[in-house]
Parts: sequence; C-alpha cells; structure tokens
Amino acid sequence: MKQTAEIEEIVGRLAAIAEDPNAYAVEWKARTQRKIIGILPMNFPAEIVHAAGALPVLVQEDNAAITYGRSLLFEFYCGYTRSLVDQAATGKLKIYDGIFLVDHCVALLGAVDAIRFEVPDLPVFLAQFTASMDEDTTRPQVHGRITELRERLEELCGSSVTDEAICRSIEAYNRDRALLRRVYEMRRLGRISLSSRQMQALVKSAMVMDVDEHSQIMTRLVAHLEAGSVHSTGLVKLHLSGHFCHAPRPELLDMIESCGVAVVDDDVYTGYRYISTDVPHKADPITALTQWYFDRNDNVPCSTRAQKSADWESYLANAVEKNGAEGVIVLVAKFCEPHMLYYPELRKELHKRGIPHLLIETEHEGLALEMLKTRVEALIEGIRRSVLSRETA
Amino acid sequence: MNIAVPPMEDKKANKLKSTRIAGKLVNDYWEMVWRAKEEGKLICWYEGSAINPFLEAADICWVHGEAYSAMLAARHQEETAQRVAEERGYMRELCSYARTHLGCAVSNQRLRGDNSGATPDDDDLTWKLPAPDMIISAYAYCSTGQQWDEMTSRVFGKKVPIFNVSLPWIWASKPDAGYLRGHEWHETSDYVARQLYDMVKFIEEQTGKPYPWDRLRAMMADIKRASELRLEAMDLCTAQPAPASFFDWVVSIAPINNLPVAGVKDYFETVLAEVKQRVASGEGAVPDEKYRLFFDGIMNWNKVGWLANKFARYDAAVVAGRYTHMAFWQEPDLIDPKNPVLGMAQNYLICPNNHAAPILIELIMGLCRKFQVDGMVIHASRTCRAFTNPQFMIAEAAQRQLGIPSSMFEGDVTDESFYKDELLNSRVEAMLEAIESRRMAVA
Repeated sequence: MKQTAEIEEIVGRLAAIAEDPNAYAVEWKARTQRKIIGILPMNFPAEIVHAAGALPVLVQEDNAAITYGRSLLFEFYCGYTRSLVDQAATGKLKIYDGIFLVDHCVALLGAVDAIRFEVPDLPVFLAQFTASMDEDTTRPQVHGRITELRERLEELCGSSVTDEAICRSIEAYNRDRALLRRVYEMRRLGRISLSSRQMQALVKSAMVMDVDEHSQIMTRLVAHLEAGSVHSTGLVKLHLSGHFCHAPRPELLDMIESCGVAVVDDDVYTGYRYISTDVPHKADPITALTQWYFDRNDNVPCSTRAQKSADWESYLANAVEKNGAEGVIVLVAKFCEPHMLYYPELRKELHKRGIPHLLIETEHEGLALEMLKTRVEALIEGIRRSVLSRETA
Repeated sequence: MNIAVPPMEDKKANKLKSTRIAGKLVNDYWEMVWRAKEEGKLICWYEGSAINPFLEAADICWVHGEAYSAMLAARHQEETAQRVAEERGYMRELCSYARTHLGCAVSNQRLRGDNSGATPDDDDLTWKLPAPDMIISAYAYCSTGQQWDEMTSRVFGKKVPIFNVSLPWIWASKPDAGYLRGHEWHETSDYVARQLYDMVKFIEEQTGKPYPWDRLRAMMADIKRASELRLEAMDLCTAQPAPASFFDWVVSIAPINNLPVAGVKDYFETVLAEVKQRVASGEGAVPDEKYRLFFDGIMNWNKVGWLANKFARYDAAVVAGRYTHMAFWQEPDLIDPKNPVLGMAQNYLICPNNHAAPILIELIMGLCRKFQVDGMVIHASRTCRAFTNPQFMIAEAAQRQLGIPSSMFEGDVTDESFYKDELLNSRVEAMLEAIESRRMAVA
C-alpha cells in the first residue's frame, strides 16, 4: 500500500507540473535567474538549449478557450497552433525569453509568424530542418542549422555553448529518456498499472522540466515500480497511435480506459515518440544531435518526414505484434495535414494484418465524449467477440 | 443588397480576348499529356515550383499536380477524384489539391489492376492522368507538398523513383534580412541551387542520357522574356480604368507556370499588345470601374469566371493579387540564361508564401499603393493553410498602414463545397459601403 501511495504521490507531483508548466518555468527562473526558451515540436534538440544554461520548455497546448487568437489564425487549424497564437495574444508567452523551432509544418509556420507579429519583442527563431531524409544535401543542412541554433543561443544567453556542455546535456537527456522508456517497457509487460493519463504526465513533465530534476524524480518512481508485482487485468489491450505535437486530452484517455481497456503502448508524441531515441555518442556533439534527428525517424517513423526506408504503418503493425495489443485507436488532431495524408496507409496496413482499429479526431474545443465512448465500446465489443469466436472455434 | 448603387445584373467582366489563346494552349498541353504514354515518353509528376523547364528540356512529359487538380475543378470534373480519395481514407479537411490529385493516382492504380474492379470511362479525366515514371517534389513553404508527393509514391507502391528538393522558408530574423537580400537569402539560394544540380543528376539517371543544358538555357531565355512581357502588361494595369484584372492574370498562370515553353513568349506578347491597346482606348476590365480591389489568397478554381463577373457587377476592378503578382518567374532579372540554375532556385523561393509576414506584408502594401486600391478581398481557402496563414496580419496591416478595409470570404482551391456565396456577397457589399463612406467623408 505504501508503495502505491508513493507512486501516486510522485506521479501526482509530475502531473501537477505537466498541468501548469508556466508556473514551474516561472518558479525555475526566479530560483536560477536563468533564461527560459520555449521550444516547439516535434524534432527540436532540447539538449542544445540546456547546454546554453537555459530551461527548454516544450510549449504545450493550453486548455483555455481560444478567444483573441481567433483574430490571428482561422478556425480550420489544429488545436495546437490555434492555442499557440492564443497564448501569444493573451500574454502567456511572455514568460519566455525566446521561442525556437526546427519543424516547418505549414500550420506551425503560420503560428510562429503570428506570434512574431503579435509579440514583436519576443525573439522567435526558426532553424528549419529539411524534412526529406534521403537526399545527400540533407545531413549537412541539418548540421548547419544546429550550429546556427547554437550561435543564436549563445547570443541570447550571453555565454558560449561548449562541446563539453552539449555532451553533458546529451547524457542528461539520454538518462531521462532511458528512465521513461523503462516505464514504457514495464507497461508493455503488464508489470505496472499506471493509467494513460499518468503515463502522459510522465512524458509531458519531461518536456517542460529541468532534466536533472525530472530524472531524480523518475529514478525514485522507477525504483518503486520495479518493486511492484505483475498485474493480470483481463482488460482489452490497445495501442494508441498518432496525435502529433500536443497531448490528447486526459479525459479522452480516461474515457477509453473506462471501456474495459488497458493501453499497453503508444506512438503519440507526448508518449513513446518523444522518448524513443537517444542521442548517440560521437566526438562532435553537433554531429551526434544531427544523427539523432535521423535515428528518430528510423525508430518511430513520422509522416512529417519523407523517407523511403521508413514506414510508419509497418512500424505500427510490428509494434502491435510485439506489445500484444488487440487493437489500435488512431488519434488524429483535427486539421493535422501530415496525419490526414498518412492515415490511409495506416488503415490499409491494419486491415491487411487484421488488426481492429478506430479513428478518433480530437479538437481543442472539447470532445463529444459520450458519442466517442459508444464508438470505443463498439471496437472493444468487436475485439471481445472475435477473441471469443477464435476460442470456441 | 445594401450598397447605395445596386449592381447591375447584366454586367460581365470584360475579359482580355487574348486569354482565349491560353485556353487553347492549356487544352493542347493536356492532350499532349494524355498521349504521352502512347508516344513512349517518360512522365514526371511534380508539385510546387515550376521545374518543368528542367523536364521539358530533357524530353520528359511533365505533370504538375496542382495544375491537374485545378484543371479538373475549372472543368467541374473534380468530384470523382475527390470521392475516390475519400474512399481510400483521405479526409475532407486535407488540402484539396492533394486530395484531388491523390484521387487520380488511386484511380490510376485501380485501373492498373489492384482488383478494385474499376473500368475506365472515356469522359472521366480522373483516370486519364498517366501514371508517373518518376516524381520530383519541389514545394516552397507548404510542408504538405512534400508529404503529398511522398504519399503519391506510396500509392504507387514506392516503385516510382522520387527526388525531393527542399525549399526553406525565408524567415528573416537577422538585421540584414529582406526581400532578395541578406545572408539568409543568399545561403538559402545556394542550398536550393545545389539541390537542383542533384535533381539534374536524378533526371539523367531516369533518362539514361547526359542532361541537355543548352536546351535548358534556351528555354530559360524565353521564359525570362515572357516574364518581362507579363510584368510589363501587369504594370500597365495601374491605369484607370484597369485594362486587365486579377482574373485575367489567373487565366494567364498556366502559360507562365507549366505550359510548353515554345508558345509562352508569343502569348504574352499578344497579351501585352492588347493591354496597351486597351490603355490607349480607355477600355477597362470591368464595364464601369468604380472601385479598385486587391485579391489576397489562392484562386478558387471552380469559380474563376463566376467571381470575375460578380466583381464586375459590383463595378469593382480586382486589379492585383498576391497569387498572381508575387509569383511565377516573378523576378526575371535574377535569371541568367547562360547559367540559369541559381536564378531558377531564387525564383522558386519567391513563391507568394515563402517569405515570412514582415517581408510579405511590405510587398503587398507596395502593390496596394502602386495599383491604388480602395480595399482588399481575402479568400480564406479552407484547405490551403499556406495561403491563409498570414491573412489576418495582412488585413490588419492594410488597415493600419493604408487605411483600407478588407473583406474575407471562405472558399477553397478545388473543393466547391466550402464556397459560401452569400457570405461573400454580404461582406463585399459591406466593404464597398465602407469605401463609399470614406469617400464621402473625404469629399
């Protein structure tokens, strides 16, 4: 019992920070007198900001209703980009000393252009990473952009960013990712009973906290979880897929699990996609961070990248085979173009392999949870019947 | 109807007669595309930038994805492709250029025997688009462009060779940044030029022949001249009444952007001559020019003639636009026909979205001043976020810097179902009333 209470306490603490990252960042700044850099998803190497002595905070979707942001972006944009510009328009981005990004999703570009327009005093810097991974010119280009990031951070933070500092930061982030991956591994093995809401809190807090502080807490958590026992739940095992850039609402995850579901794995951005890949050890840390960018898409392919040798659909189907999930829920943030483009490939592969799946579109302005629940229940019913008919055959 | 002088229902846009030639050139081009397989030509699908001279010089038949989708929409034949795309799982909020074109790709695959039981219909242009032998992606600004090509490749089972040219956005955050200047501009231009040389190697691999650089040089000399003629004709529309409208320039996009180079110079010579003649005789693009408007946004290809006539009925000459006046070999001076690659790269970077808002707004305000516009009509194209991204900022800048009102309407590039006619009517009428009020106040 004590162990369970300890786990709840630790996860609750991380969840509180994940819920209000701005409060954490402001407190951190007051405590350290260092700068806070807002970074945008999904491929930004936070290590470089950490090495500059600043706190990298992956700017999250805000739960507030979008009001003033409506006069910066149209309603037919994803919830994340609309929330970003609303945060700019309502002064919430003022806690940051700069906003940095490397991705160039068309909606994200619209958002950062609007942020610069709305908050002209806030430095906003794009170091665009080429998204086609196969061309010979891509690697040197990405290397150059990371070098440029380093220079801009040196200007902004007023001190040089040494190779040694970057290497230390890489080690710190690799350590934290490894701890998170260990929790994921235990979830796949059914050794822990953390809910999807709790799992999200672990990753989301890693996106916004000082990495060493996060690692310390995670080390305690992992120790408690390792000491736990194997759970046999009798629930239908599912894999959650998709949902780029921002977190699906926790209440949606709760609803899914309330339908007799155990989520055993995911490839959502605020999940395994974020922690999948460590930065390799190389003499030149910029080369190492460049390699990380390529490795990430090999490990968990993303439809925002163009790469002949990487297939999200086969990754997903193989992951489902390994983790024992009996079905997949694909979560698409409404208006997310890279996901909308790729979904037919996922659907085709899941059909081909006979993996039941359900598509759910999410929106910033709330979700019709009861209606969605009916659809999830239908998926679960279908899976149960299928299992039953296999057993009686 | 609210404005003081009700629009006359029988008024129509006074289109340039010479743009009829564009219609014939376009038809001839598509006929050539549809025959290409029979003639044993290699076919390249590409999106975004006008890389077609690279292909035409190498005797490769080029098919621009957006152009095919736009053609289907302009002929009101887009529905089949969009339905087929939806059947495969593409959602309706996805870029309708991509959705329509992918619908053609899926149809083509079905006919090639993916056991879907499809049979060709001679009247349906969806299936007629010949399958690609190669794909080249060279999309400025919009990330969807490259992803769309990637998906096309996957629809064809990843068996078609694909090459990507990446065109970075000109973000312009350094002090020396600006239109066609600064470290970022030059560095980015060089990066794109390097990729174009790699693209030529890719083309050589596909054709198995050395690349015919002399042919490209000759073509780029013609394009440079055609571009100069086009810009000269556009500039003459500062005249009042304007001799040609935004819609005439929309019709003239295909000739400058993706038709065979041979006829392009002659086309724009004819257009320029007609524009000059109209200026001399005081003939306007709308029968009674009372208002001059700027059009921000991409074209609604289902509605080109419809919109041209609608604005003519309001006595509103749409004299310039971001889509037409800030793209399509827009900077001919950058093209050196003897050594054209860098200038081509730079023109690809000058797509009407590929500069961040500060530069874009400065250019648009410059056009508004030059063409002495009274207001701005903004097409919020539902599935083209590349164009809608800066529109609120543009509207605000127009109000702040020029004191001119703007009016937004919702539509789409090729999905007619997003077009809202009555909203357009009421909003344009409100804007014209605001213009009237301002004039009365000044008087």
